[in-house]
Amino acid sequence: MTLSHANNVPQKPARVVVLGAGGFIGRRLVRALTDAGIESVALGSRDIDLADGAAAARLAEQLRRNDSVVFLAALTPDKGRDSGTLMRNLAMCRAVCEATQKVELAHLVCASSDAVYSFDTALISEETPSVPVDLYGAMHRTRELMLAAEAKAPLAIFRIPALYGAGDTHNSYGPNRFLRQALKDGSIALFGNGEEMRDHVCVDDAADLMLRVVLQRSTGLLNLATGTSTSFHAVAELIAAGLDRPILIKPSARQNPVTHRHFDVTNALRAFPSMRFRPLKDGLTAMIADTRAMAGG
Amino acid sequence: MSTPVVGFAGMTHLGLISASAVAGRGFEVVCFDADPALIDRLNRRDWPVLEPGLDQLIHGNGTRQRFTAQRNDLKSCDVVYVAPDVPTDDQGTSDFTGLTALIRDVAGAMKPDAVMVVLSQVPPGYTRALDVGSPERRYYQVETLVFGQAVERATKPERYIVGCADPAAPLDARFRAVLDAFKCPILPMRYESAELAKISINCCLVASVTVSNTLAELCEEIGADWSEIAPALKLDRRIGAYAYLAPGLGIAGGNLERDLATVRRLADAHGTEAGLIVAWQRNSRYRRDWPLRQLQARVLAGSAEPLIGVLGVTYKENTRSIKNSPAVALIRELASCRLRVFDPAVQAAAEWHPRMTPVEEALSACDGADALVIMTPWPQFRALEPRAIAGRLRGRVVVDPFSVLDRAAAAAAGLEHVVLGAPSPAFSAKTLHP
Repeated sequence: MTLSHANNVPQKPARVVVLGAGGFIGRRLVRALTDAGIESVALGSRDIDLADGAAAARLAEQLRRNDSVVFLAALTPDKGRDSGTLMRNLAMCRAVCEATQKVELAHLVCASSDAVYSFDTALISEETPSVPVDLYGAMHRTRELMLAAEAKAPLAIFRIPALYGAGDTHNSYGPNRFLRQALKDGSIALFGNGEEMRDHVCVDDAADLMLRVVLQRSTGLLNLATGTSTSFHAVAELIAAGLDRPILIKPSARQNPVTHRHFDVTNALRAFPSMRFRPLKDGLTAMIADTRAMAGG
Repeated sequence: MSTPVVGFAGMTHLGLISASAVAGRGFEVVCFDADPALIDRLNRRDWPVLEPGLDQLIHGNGTRQRFTAQRNDLKSCDVVYVAPDVPTDDQGTSDFTGLTALIRDVAGAMKPDAVMVVLSQVPPGYTRALDVGSPERRYYQVETLVFGQAVERATKPERYIVGCADPAAPLDARFRAVLDAFKCPILPMRYESAELAKISINCCLVASVTVSNTLAELCEEIGADWSEIAPALKLDRRIGAYAYLAPGLGIAGGNLERDLATVRRLADAHGTEAGLIVAWQRNSRYRRDWPLRQLQARVLAGSAEPLIGVLGVTYKENTRSIKNSPAVALIRELASCRLRVFDPAVQAAAEWHPRMTPVEEALSACDGADALVIMTPWPQFRALEPRAIAGRLRGRVVVDPFSVLDRAAAAAAGLEHVVLGAPSPAFSAKTLHP
């Protein structure tokens, strides 16, 4: 299953409701919608706790017929990797499914994760079997299946690898943590020598692609990836080179075997021929500048 | 025994070529098809398929080979081949409705003691399950038609694989006389073995191609060159001089896809392990998109509305077939581009792309283009001068999966020449001339 478009020519939706609007990508998406002149409603966890038992009814009250809903809300691994976190994430998805049964939506766009894939396959496409190896991956796969089975709306699902960009609320291993470490300590700590290759996606590009899916009312499944993978070591070097003081890149004794992940993005090329991802170097340079600006210089 | 008269029913690609080859060995051959329009076309020497040597072969057969729409004309035949092409759908599933109907039709028209030979490719179990005629006079013969080389292979077969009801019984003398005329080994075996032998041959071909594709892609990334490696493999007796070691754009044409689908279906039904087949199919889909990925990385990512020249539409050279053609797939997927397209045998269809200009000659496809893609290795494309191409392109990129252009000449002309299995141009420049 890959993406197909209900609107071959992009059309503004009546209104877009963003769930998880306070998160890393949610903030970018709301801004992109505003810039595109699209009416949006930004709902974060302070507005509505989707894991609450009454969340479905409360969410339905917020929705209008023909709304497009972008479901980004999730408790990420830094909030917990246990079964309690898993169940709360599933409860959030259940609330969304139930709300779609109460209000007829034009479109439902959901963020999943590349954690649904195992590392047995290094080159990933949408056809790669989903074999999650931890509760976080199992959560996302289960949410995908719940949405496919129970959500009453045309459905698009993105599987997203780790994103980078200024203002990240997480501190997982990768560009964001590297920059924080470099600014704070003048050093970047790698697992092993940072050999692992990953597809690093700029959060602004992720928001751009989501906006395209909203405008074309696309349905199906897409990996949100650039198609170019880079080692963590190379990322650390790019960040160090972008700062105006020497940064020590510190390898460590390797605890786990090296795994790589690459994406075959041919389906994305087909779905969005004009989509352009910014080169990693440019994206990291912007992240450094924005982070400094947010910190007051 | 007098020289047997041979009939062929079904005058599409397989039947026409095979009948012509038998007539070429001196037999009187009756070529039957129920479609009078097709027979009329054949009698006008307007061949429905493009195959090198076909016209010459039929011309040489003279009156030994005649075309008819009258099924009763098969009554004069001692051996009747049933040989229509079997259609397949997009999933590689065959539709045997027409074949089975024709077999019944022919069985009713043949003389009672004539031999029937099913030549169309059928799955294991098909021939034994037929309820027409006597099993002792019913055979299945493996066809090894190769589009674009069909006459060569039909007139000089490597061997005959013959499925029989009982392989211990001698072949019917009249059928044997036809096969002996080609002076090649004959391997009788039970129906089911022969039916699976054909599929086995195709699986081995796909295995070789998939190995080549897998390693050729690695070559592109690490600075190795598959064109240097393949000749070394061919000198290995365990691999062989004729092994399919040319990397390609996935499996196309319909026949190999059909056989992989058949093996998967049988393995699923019987609970045998066939993960390898799934991997081949995945590799084929992946490799089909190689030109699109190359264009994306080298041209499309940096240009708002590029113009792309496309040479070749057919799935391979010397054929008019576009079944599962990677070129057609690419044209459909270049939605954000304008295209100029040329093929020597097939006119590009307007429905494939809204902004496509079919052109009348190869170099014209290059005019003002940001990149050229040579999707089919037609022999006449090899005569194109890289300097002439460079002079008419606006950009420098030539995606040439099969290396139709000479690599050194293309580089000398300043082209960024991208070839399957070859180190990328940037890599070559870096490693050979640091």
